[in-house]
Amino acid sequence: MDTLLTEKRAAANAQAAERPSTFDPIEIEILWKRLISVVDEASAAFVRTCFSTLVRDGNDFAIVLTDAQGRSLAQSSMSLPGFIGCLPATVRYFLQKYPAPTMQPGDVFITNDPWKGSGHIHDVTTVTPIFRNNRVVAFAAVVSHLPDIGGKLRSNSSREIYEEGLQIPPMKLLDAGEPNRILIEIMTQNIRVPDQGMGDIWAQVAGCKMMADRLQGLLDSVDFEALGAEVRLRSENAMREAIRRIPDGVYRSTVQHDGFESPIIIQCKLTVKGDEIDIDYDGSSPQQPRAVNVVPIYAFAYTVYGLKALLCPDIPNNEGSFLPISTRAPLGSLFNPTYPAASGGRSAIGHLLPAAVFKALADVLPEKVWATGSPNSSMTMSGEYRGKRFAVVNFLNAGQGATARRRGFSALSFPGNLGNTPVEMMETLAPIRVIRREIRRGSEGLGLHNGGAGISFEYEILPDASDVTASFLMTQLKSAPLGLAGGGSGKQGRLVLNGQEVDPTEPRVLKAGDRVLMETAGGGAYGIAKR
Amino acid sequence: MAVDIGGTFTDGVAALSPAGRIWVAKAPTTPADPGEAVSTVILSLLRQVAASMGASAPKLAEVVHGTTLITNTLIERSGARTGLITTRGMRDALDIGREWRYDIYDLEIVLPQPLVAPDCRIEVDERLNARGEVIIPLEAPELERMTQAIAALKVDSVAVSLLHSYVNDAHEKQIRDTLKAAMPDLAVSISSELAREIKEFERTSTTAANAYVKPLAAQYLEELESRIEAIQSGIALRVMVSSGGFTSARSGAESPILLLESGPAAGVLSALNTARQNDEHHVLAFDMGGTTAKACVAVGGEAPVAHSFECARVARFKRGSGLPILIPSIDLIEIGAGGGSIAYCNRLGLLNIGPESSGSVPGPACYASGGTDATVTDADLLLGYLNPANFLGGEMPLSTGLAEAAMGRLAQTLGVSPTDAAWGIYNMVNENMASAARIHIAENGHDPREFSMVATGGAGPVHAMEVARKLRIPRVLIPIAAGAGSCLGMLAAPARVDRAWSNPQLLGDTNWELVRQSLQKLKQAAEVELASAGAGEVEWRIGAEMRYYGQGAEVPVSIPYASVDERTGAVILKTFEEQYQKLYGRLVPNARPQVITWRLTGRAHSRGHHFEWGDDRVKNTPPSRDSRAIYLPLKRAYGKVEVFDRYSVKPGQTLAGPLILEEKESTIVVPINAEVTILPDLTVAISIKEYE
Repeated sequence: MDTLLTEKRAAANAQAAERPSTFDPIEIEILWKRLISVVDEASAAFVRTCFSTLVRDGNDFAIVLTDAQGRSLAQSSMSLPGFIGCLPATVRYFLQKYPAPTMQPGDVFITNDPWKGSGHIHDVTTVTPIFRNNRVVAFAAVVSHLPDIGGKLRSNSSREIYEEGLQIPPMKLLDAGEPNRILIEIMTQNIRVPDQGMGDIWAQVAGCKMMADRLQGLLDSVDFEALGAEVRLRSENAMREAIRRIPDGVYRSTVQHDGFESPIIIQCKLTVKGDEIDIDYDGSSPQQPRAVNVVPIYAFAYTVYGLKALLCPDIPNNEGSFLPISTRAPLGSLFNPTYPAASGGRSAIGHLLPAAVFKALADVLPEKVWATGSPNSSMTMSGEYRGKRFAVVNFLNAGQGATARRRGFSALSFPGNLGNTPVEMMETLAPIRVIRREIRRGSEGLGLHNGGAGISFEYEILPDASDVTASFLMTQLKSAPLGLAGGGSGKQGRLVLNGQEVDPTEPRVLKAGDRVLMETAGGGAYGIAKR
Repeated sequence: MAVDIGGTFTDGVAALSPAGRIWVAKAPTTPADPGEAVSTVILSLLRQVAASMGASAPKLAEVVHGTTLITNTLIERSGARTGLITTRGMRDALDIGREWRYDIYDLEIVLPQPLVAPDCRIEVDERLNARGEVIIPLEAPELERMTQAIAALKVDSVAVSLLHSYVNDAHEKQIRDTLKAAMPDLAVSISSELAREIKEFERTSTTAANAYVKPLAAQYLEELESRIEAIQSGIALRVMVSSGGFTSARSGAESPILLLESGPAAGVLSALNTARQNDEHHVLAFDMGGTTAKACVAVGGEAPVAHSFECARVARFKRGSGLPILIPSIDLIEIGAGGGSIAYCNRLGLLNIGPESSGSVPGPACYASGGTDATVTDADLLLGYLNPANFLGGEMPLSTGLAEAAMGRLAQTLGVSPTDAAWGIYNMVNENMASAARIHIAENGHDPREFSMVATGGAGPVHAMEVARKLRIPRVLIPIAAGAGSCLGMLAAPARVDRAWSNPQLLGDTNWELVRQSLQKLKQAAEVELASAGAGEVEWRIGAEMRYYGQGAEVPVSIPYASVDERTGAVILKTFEEQYQKLYGRLVPNARPQVITWRLTGRAHSRGHHFEWGDDRVKNTPPSRDSRAIYLPLKRAYGKVEVFDRYSVKPGQTLAGPLILEEKESTIVVPINAEVTILPDLTVAISIKEYE
């Protein structure tokens, strides 16, 4: 059975086009900027008040403003692409469970349900309704990756969600300003580093409060609903216009991921028809008994992201950009898994979707697409050092693909936008000594324009440390990022423990003095090198 | 005398102390040898003073200086061949950066290039841990190897940035001393002296930037000193730093990165001076020149200081596209375009302005130097705000015809009338600036309605009233010589001393006796310094950079100075919680408040410096000059208003807007109902009387 990955919403275009715009082109630009700056301000407040390096250094979060129906209006500029697509859907789930008329000022909703949130339970979303004259007029929604959520460390080896940690169904964190003490106590008990985890959640609340406060001025001076309709329509029209420039047809690509016993296959069938695009992932691998399953909304989010970057990067993003695009995959497949599928490592697969889109459209947009690069890797560690519990997540990016005009970027996050943690901060938070973090020279694919190089990151566990539990999420270890137009592939990544190349699937216990080398893949090249 | 080198002009102001008579001079900036314009300006000022005062003209006592030289060197990448020394394994820190993209959708993104080439980086075997303890000592043979490797690179300047040097600077100092002994001419910059902060990429970036500009800055400051010496011997030269203080030319040459924002910082000091003279406590300093507009929120007579910013951005308004620099700097934000910024129609058929600027060549269409794009200045002209015959006091006539032609082309693509396009540009830049300033004010937890705006820069007084009106700021002040604002700021800055003591500690674990002693020690040294600067009555304050344990950003807390004990902890906690609640709405349950850095500030009590024209600008001619039609924003139509000569209006005089006040360096545009008063210090004060 083919299932749409997102609810099909009527194109706003037809009706909206009939309505005369009440904003002139100058006014709309000013108001639009103001919407975005309100969200950026909330984002700055979140970063300033957060407690984990995942938000501060890793940039593993996003904040979105939606209208009263949960349609995205604006997002923080540096947002993580996947989250932008997920957050509005989360708001709509809350609206189903808690209809708007029952919401009260001071309410804050919370969940980490992968299907309703952003694809794995390590991300916690909070949603704050924004009121005017006692009516819900908008929502502030924020999601961030917590440093820990209990359970087994984030690892591809998990077979069911139950292993992955504490599940928070959609519920209230604050009820009319009153904290949900039971939930908070349960969470505090489950998270390995509750000061950081709960601290980040209070920072989310602060960020959303900031958004609500700053929005009031705008709500006082404009017809907010009309403004929302207008910006959505403009983004939608821009996306439709860009799609119309691609010849109608069916474009296909296949992208391979390392997998486990056998490779995972992503089959992408991209159909352009007029001003709409439908992407069907039928034929991709089935749901996996590992933590790499990609929930529908996350698959949709990264597919749309790839198209948006390719087709109209300069128009501010909102719900309108999503409307002309639909994604689908059969129920029970990798991109439409059923509960209780595990999904902690879903980004390694989800982050390949822009590459699949690029590859499918490489022949019609040869000047624009990137050759394949590698998504990020990460290491998660937990234990106790000098009487203090620690739990850290650090990201490691890789080489990106070259294009028809230039070489690929080395050590850059794509399609995610995850930052690294300063070495000095890592060594402050966990009992490790970093031996080197350097460009992995020679890992780039060779061609007319070379790919970017990956990273070599080597560290050892301090001699006075007790055992450290560690989990490595690494990708492109078996399958190399492919070149385009005859360009060579990048070199695969690898994980080396005390000189031995090892499989990263299972979490490990590291001893004092153990040495870990993580090397990320290089990006594919573009074209054949001239002699 | 104060001399400020800007992108287009080098400004100078001579002030007679203590009477406050001023003379103003301007000369085109001479990029090949910036000191030349400085000499020209100083000589011109000396001539003016002599002409006004004859034999009673006093000798030159001191020159204070601000410059964009450092910023430009970084933007143009015209600095020294620079080497970098890092801990082994860290040589790629500048390439790797933070691994994120400042624009998530742009597949054609351009990333800032490091200042040090990959083949100019040397790794050394040494290591500290996060507590600053030595794990691998730095031995003599390794220092020897390093010295030879650096010598082989033939670099003029070296940056040294080792892991964890923010806790222990011993190895960095060892390296500096070794290099200095072996190669006395080599410029060496060490990270622990410039940016003592955890996060190696940003600290290394700051150190590399300092090293990159150091040889040039040292040479420039030395030449400048000798030029001044040639004019009159024994003159002290002090340079302004980004935080608004001064330093000697010698220490400026040692840490030139501190001079990065010296010009804009001085502009803020000028605004603060005007505010002090007129008892304004909540000030938005607004400066708009040819290419950018900047703003600063200053409350209680103090300019806030930020500890990190970016320079040489690849994409001008995109945060993250520049080189991170960790130095104390007056917290200015770039809020928008300048007079030369170009307006265009984007893909959605919407009007956009900047960041592309027509610069001084070809300049706005109305300059008649070949520019064909419609700019902000063209819009200002067509709306009647600028007098084409009185631009720069008539030295540079403007072409209305060329402005009309450019605006006509833009209007056609937008599908609006030329007047609507011009009005659209004026209104949009004002709105953009207001919205950026509004965020900045809000981020600092304030309400714009409590503020006064002080406007400076050539385009500042043209746009100030509308920006203020949109922000609901009720009062605008335009100081004397607004066009040379930064020079006045350098002359007016009250003597101040800032001392800091970093001692991260939970508030609950604080050893108050230790804090008391430390602050007292800082105060004793500061008192000596302030006394030598001639400060009389001094206001002392204790500052604490606070956060909850585990957070990465501080909330600054400030209380009046008093002897410190446990009770101080309660006062500080209460102030912190009030601030936190105000900024973020809710305190964090069970979190532990922490002081990261203690600060001590002593500032000479100052009612502000009073300035008056030293030359014969002030005329006894009738103040009303003329009348002309200008665009009235709230009427959305042109209407005739009276035009006054700023130099002829007298203190105490009150006029009713809408009106225009013309002066040499700018035009004060009051396009709305307002009460315009000339204050005793010749500041023009405008009280806005209508908002919608």
